[in-house]
Amino acid sequence: MIGRILIVIFCLTFSFDLRSEENLEKYTISGYITDGSSGEALIGATIYVEEIKGGSVTNVYGYYSISLEAGDYTIEFRYVGFNSVTRTVNLNANNEINIELAEVNRELEEVVIMAEKSNENVESVEMSVNKLDIKTIERIPALLGEVDIIKSIQLLPGVSTVGEGASGFNVRGGSVGQNLVLLDDAPVYNSSHLLGFFSVFNPDAVKDVKLYKGGIPAQYGGRISSILDIRMKEGNQKKFGAEGGIGTIFSRLTLEAPIVKDKSSFIVAGRRSYIDLLARPFTDVLDGGAQLYFYDLTLKAHYDFSQKDHLYISGYFGKDVFKFDAQQGFSWGNSTATVRWNHLFDERLFFNLTSIYSDYDYNLAFGETDLDKFEWESRIRTISFKPQLTFFLSPNNAWEFGGEFNYYRFNPANAFGVSNGEIANITLDKKFALEGAIYLSNELDIGSALTLQYGLRGSGFLYLGPGNKYEYVTLEPGDRKLVTSIERFDDFEVIEDYYNLEPRISLKYQLNTNNSLKASYNRINQYIHLISNTTASNPLDVWTPSTNNIAPQRGDQYAMGFFKNFGKNNSFESSVELYYRDTKNQIEYIDGADLLINEFLEGDLLSGVGRAYGAEFYFRKNTGKLNGWISYTIGRTELKVDGINNGDWYPTRFDQLHNLKIAGFYDLNERWTFSANFTYLSGTPTTFPTSRYNIQEYLVPYIGSSGRNNIRIPDYHRLDISATLWGKKYKKNGKLRKNEDYWVFGVYNLYARRNPFSIYFSNGPDRPVAGEPIPTSATRVSIIGTIIPAVSYNFKF
Amino acid sequence: MKRRNHVIIPLVLLIAILLACEDVIYPELPQADPVTVIDAWINNKPEMQLIKVKMSLPYFQAQVLPGVQGADVSISDSNGKTYQFIESETIAGEYFWEPDDQDSVFGEIGQTYTLTVTVGETVYNSFTTMNRVPDIDSINFRFEEGNSFFPDSYFAGVYAIDLLGPGDTYWIRSYKNGEFLNKPSEINIAFDAGFTSGSVVDGITFIQPIRDGVNPFDQDENDNFLSPYEPGDSLYVEIHSISNEAFLFLNELAIQTDRPGGFAELFALPLSNVPTNLNNTTSDDPVVGFFNIAAVSSAGRRLDPENLPTE
Repeated sequence: MIGRILIVIFCLTFSFDLRSEENLEKYTISGYITDGSSGEALIGATIYVEEIKGGSVTNVYGYYSISLEAGDYTIEFRYVGFNSVTRTVNLNANNEINIELAEVNRELEEVVIMAEKSNENVESVEMSVNKLDIKTIERIPALLGEVDIIKSIQLLPGVSTVGEGASGFNVRGGSVGQNLVLLDDAPVYNSSHLLGFFSVFNPDAVKDVKLYKGGIPAQYGGRISSILDIRMKEGNQKKFGAEGGIGTIFSRLTLEAPIVKDKSSFIVAGRRSYIDLLARPFTDVLDGGAQLYFYDLTLKAHYDFSQKDHLYISGYFGKDVFKFDAQQGFSWGNSTATVRWNHLFDERLFFNLTSIYSDYDYNLAFGETDLDKFEWESRIRTISFKPQLTFFLSPNNAWEFGGEFNYYRFNPANAFGVSNGEIANITLDKKFALEGAIYLSNELDIGSALTLQYGLRGSGFLYLGPGNKYEYVTLEPGDRKLVTSIERFDDFEVIEDYYNLEPRISLKYQLNTNNSLKASYNRINQYIHLISNTTASNPLDVWTPSTNNIAPQRGDQYAMGFFKNFGKNNSFESSVELYYRDTKNQIEYIDGADLLINEFLEGDLLSGVGRAYGAEFYFRKNTGKLNGWISYTIGRTELKVDGINNGDWYPTRFDQLHNLKIAGFYDLNERWTFSANFTYLSGTPTTFPTSRYNIQEYLVPYIGSSGRNNIRIPDYHRLDISATLWGKKYKKNGKLRKNEDYWVFGVYNLYARRNPFSIYFSNGPDRPVAGEPIPTSATRVSIIGTIIPAVSYNFKF
Repeated sequence: MKRRNHVIIPLVLLIAILLACEDVIYPELPQADPVTVIDAWINNKPEMQLIKVKMSLPYFQAQVLPGVQGADVSISDSNGKTYQFIESETIAGEYFWEPDDQDSVFGEIGQTYTLTVTVGETVYNSFTTMNRVPDIDSINFRFEEGNSFFPDSYFAGVYAIDLLGPGDTYWIRSYKNGEFLNKPSEINIAFDAGFTSGSVVDGITFIQPIRDGVNPFDQDENDNFLSPYEPGDSLYVEIHSISNEAFLFLNELAIQTDRPGGFAELFALPLSNVPTNLNNTTSDDPVVGFFNIAAVSSAGRRLDPENLPTE
């Protein structure tokens, strides 16, 4: 139905445009907007044309294009934190205008009254989208002072986590595996170092972070909850630069330089934890081959062949290593590589081709001798190919057309055990799949008030051989399913296929300059699934494709919002959004599910439906000595699965009714700045037993009357603060220092609250006395139950 | 999944820079009606066999479960032979069967059995098969030097070879100096020679974590680990053949009750009811518990430091 409506709209817009095309000769103004000091492309910079009271924004490569009728125009180029540039143009031919913007000086920032801040959040058709620039992220107080992208986005409305130390994040009630995390377009399957305490992205190499929670454009797909789009810096095209720091956990160093000035540059950024290096002289734990460290390396280079052709190559390589001795241990890590080529066919036709390689693997080895050991390697590898074409038809009409093709190879277990010299090979078959999508989307201004962005994404999934097709029968919902048949398929034979249409539509109605109403609907199918039944996702969790037994997850999200800017120069922005998401084919697990190295994994999975709904309130002050934001979300997320909780609705483990975040920044003077953030979350649900009984020597907890996740653990709240001391700007002899440095002093969990992560029930650590009743107790666990101070030193030159 | 804990616990121990903390709390628990509990684990050792019929208690009420008196308890095999259990006169809710001249032990391997428990009008039943069991080859002790976490220690290992053909499930029960190792963390079960049905490890010696599952890891009052065995200690091990359903039961029991706490809570599974193979044939009222008939093999050894293998 919605598909049919869209087709009608497609036809209408073309006729609409053809009509307007005929009148006057049109010319195009296009170009790149970059940071004048480094040559970095500025993403989302605004091009405002005074005469038409509108304009455009740069894309992720810093490119913009506007087609206008011949005439005189005053055009303003602006970007937050940069001085605006105004140009007057007499347009009688296609015109290329490349702009370099200069950054506002740090100490001037609070004094200079900035040119009117862009009204982007109100004027754009985008909703349910949050952007964080890296400068803001760097100012947020962080655990152990380590600037962290994933933890920072948790301060945004609609984003939460199941608790401290948990990896990943939850968006609008979606699970961790329902977020697509993209680093320069490459999917990152595990975004955590050290379980979930730190994320894998080096902040020094990150340029821009954008989170799509709803109204997701047709170019994105594959995960039903959110898209986190992280873009890396391209490297300084003007001059050599280095920055780095010594923190509590990581030491960091980033180098960037032009290869050919103004044409080509590279950036290399590395981080390594060094607690093991510091500890080695003081403990014998690390002797005998034991290791504990994690590191990541980020690389990017770019080359401008001409104004029409740009090439970007980027890569990420990270690893966590935990070894108990020379033979035994555990490691995991992501590797990604992205090659992108931008080509301008003409000023209005922007083409991008992206090729991606992404790999996540882990290794596990146990056993001190060759006679008794266990080794296991698991891996998911993706090769992707994404062509994309943008056609800037007119300032009020832009088309995007593209495709995305992913070839997956899942290797759940390459494993063997040796017992007393005898070998058991427990390797599982690899699984192969091809996911493809093509999409078309259009953004169109209809009249002065109404903007429509609509699109259609057709996606398909092929579960390919070689492999076995298993058929199962369910005896009792919630119990392990039994295999009834196994059929072998050859190379590239299609074992199962799925095809879906995914309509996307967003609407904006401009009430007046500072107020707008927006609404959106999107459908997304998710063809690969994170298999995890623990409270927090862990590095051993495997991804698995949709098969004949696992149907693709589907999410339909409806959202509405009111956006308002106010105050002098739009210094305050605010929004209220309502969302409702309906999900199908959600994966759950039987009790006692065996998810690792299990040929019959599908027999342990259950399927159900989900619903998540809520309201998000966001208020932000962008300017002045004191700035920051308040974010509050009220929401619910529930599942209903045959075989769990008697088939009734139950809240998910990360359901949190209230989610309040406050982030504040205060610039005292040239040298001191202060930051604070406060978090308040409703307690997550858990299940309490009601009764006890004994079987043989053991005490068994029993849930008699109440269902799953029927009790709440106490609320969570925490205050973090930090202070930054900038180095003196001038040398003793009065000369300007070439390099910049600063200290960051931070305190996490300032009032040392023992925030509960979970409550568990047990018999306690003591050995039960035979024949006597077994004592039981409840224990509340805090992952970080104390105040954690941190200090770091950072430099830049 | 027990293996996951084996991975995560040493891992989280290494994260010494951050300390999780725990507090014992006294929450109010939801109320629930008592349910009937049938604990029927029979074996073919030449000794008295016991079935308990009890009622559950509130979770925090550390008392002996109240017994259900006057039940009719019997087990019959597929040939129609019935073993009648007699109600104990001393302990409420206990029903026993004793070997006699006709039957020196209970049952035979390969035979299927039906348990019937009648309480008033309500009839409960359950079915199982007595499965085969391998002999224990040997019990060994070894000495390992200590490190920062662990003292100089004597460890034991039990060696047995899984019977050929996938699908055998065993419960390895260990007794140190005659005392059963009864902590939830000491539940030691095997699916063939390995941990799970999904990854087949068939027909070879039990894998090392199962062989080493006979070691108690007790701590002294200062929370320092103790050597699992000292010279002169004895270890007696029984392998009980169990049904695949009983394996799932014990596996779930371990997941639900072996809670190391701390960082391991990050990877905890939701609390849920362990499975039962008892049916209430009369009404929908719940019944919990388990019925298994095991064939048993056993061996024992005393730790003599003079007689240890040298590395």
